[in-house]
Amino acid sequence: MNHPVRTRFSGKSYDSSLHSAPSLRTMKNFTRLTRCCITVDSVQRSRWVFRSESLCRPIWDMVDVSMASTNSITNRSLDDLGMVVDADAHVSEQFDDVLPYVDDRYAGPRKRMQGDSKGRQWATVFSATQAGPSPKSKYEETRDSETKIRQLREFGIDHGVLLGTRFNGINTVNNPRYAVALADGFNNWILDEFLDEEKTLSAGITIAPQKPSKAAEEIDRRATEDGFVGVAMPPGGLLPPLGHEKYDPIYQAAEDNGLPLMMHGTNRGFQYGMPTLFRGTESKAEAHFLSHPFQIMQNLCTAIFRGLPERYPDLDLVFQECGVGYIPYAKWRLDDIYMEKPEDMPLLTKPPSAYIDENCYFTTQPLGHTGGSPSDVARAIEMAGPENIMYSSDLPHSTFDPPEELFNKIRGHFDDDTLRGIMGETAVEVFDLS
Amino acid sequence: MRVEVARTDELSEPGAQKLVEVNGRELAIFNVGNEYHAVVNYCIHQGGPLCEGELTGGYDVDSDGWMWKYDEHRKIIHCPWHNWRFDVTTGENVDDDSLAVPTYDVEVEDGTVYVSM
Repeated sequence: MNHPVRTRFSGKSYDSSLHSAPSLRTMKNFTRLTRCCITVDSVQRSRWVFRSESLCRPIWDMVDVSMASTNSITNRSLDDLGMVVDADAHVSEQFDDVLPYVDDRYAGPRKRMQGDSKGRQWATVFSATQAGPSPKSKYEETRDSETKIRQLREFGIDHGVLLGTRFNGINTVNNPRYAVALADGFNNWILDEFLDEEKTLSAGITIAPQKPSKAAEEIDRRATEDGFVGVAMPPGGLLPPLGHEKYDPIYQAAEDNGLPLMMHGTNRGFQYGMPTLFRGTESKAEAHFLSHPFQIMQNLCTAIFRGLPERYPDLDLVFQECGVGYIPYAKWRLDDIYMEKPEDMPLLTKPPSAYIDENCYFTTQPLGHTGGSPSDVARAIEMAGPENIMYSSDLPHSTFDPPEELFNKIRGHFDDDTLRGIMGETAVEVFDLS
Repeated sequence: MRVEVARTDELSEPGAQKLVEVNGRELAIFNVGNEYHAVVNYCIHQGGPLCEGELTGGYDVDSDGWMWKYDEHRKIIHCPWHNWRFDVTTGENVDDDSLAVPTYDVEVEDGTVYVSM
């Protein structure tokens, strides 16, 4: 793995050879800014004077020191950690990036999709939409490895596990022939543009759950290629949900190849899989609030209650992009229902939370803006189970968390090994990145 | 201390913005309705380059209490990282009035824009 040259700057680190990104200039000015802001004459509002010290620091820079006296702490900055892994890094594929990469054995569906006019395929092949327009993404498009690596380096991230963006909505492709062809094309594209001879990046294998036998073939074929480290099985619009025996060939192929299943929600998958909920929304904001956690909660529940970890005990499940606050709630509620209605889950031999501890992992973004109580994040992770938590950024999406958003809130709370695990080493093990 | 940062003809169009560095601090100068405002180029959310984002008008609720209304008066800067929004004339966050970024006094004399620190 590459390790960037790191410059101490408010806990930030970056590769000095790639410092052309505009935000870095700002970061370098930060220390001076922090000092000077407090005495700026033009800042006259009373709350500014009162709150100036905290306001002049980024909110994520507030540190939890509540446990500092009880733990052995040496990891005082990200610089001291071995490796920072982004367990949910994205690329920004366009339909026309992928289509030419569809293999000739899928020439039939490729030709049918090419017959549509450019740009329409998001509507005609992916048959789903949203509750309203998204804010324009103001961060850079990410369609080649150079851009992606520069982006990770800017935020001091050593390795990114990639997923697509719109291709996480592959469940919304009604026709399984299109879906199978598109999964193949997407994997060829990501291999060619991002993974070839590049150890800084790896990726999930995108599959078409609509056709489990073909998905299993795709997993077996890709697993032999360097850089594919998981299986992207998106929960949005996954019908039936995770745990159903229809997907047995997929679970088996993933387990046989030692690849975790990556569950990452989508807004379009929400419309497709939860249409009555979607119809009650008036805006992208409402749909976005519901979409990721509802998709994950549904599939976490069905995977556990239907005994997926009993049937495939070596299969790891990675649940992405819902933050950490819901995990304690989900474990408690699943356990309560197990105690009340055990006959509804005959395959289980122990409480759901025990399976979650052994088989399930959760990526941290979006942590949420936790106002004046940064230690809330550390406490949530403590309750969720720190060994099962993996840092993620979600870059380049506008909901991204830099590593400090997480690290500064937990560095006073956990011991060194736990911190290293959360920020990277757990992901190294789960995705076998070594 | 007063520092020259721009000529008014560089910022003649309402909505124009210019990044400058003064005493090691990055600021942006904005033309809002032909009045000039200076804001620090630093977002208090996660340290993003606030003033490299887009300066826009804003949505509000119309007089009927229900319909969207768009105010074309461009005075809201959007952080390019996470879209946090600040009014460049006051420094206040548009969506949470407990948050603000520093602003600086601006003077214009003979077609030259100065920032006071």
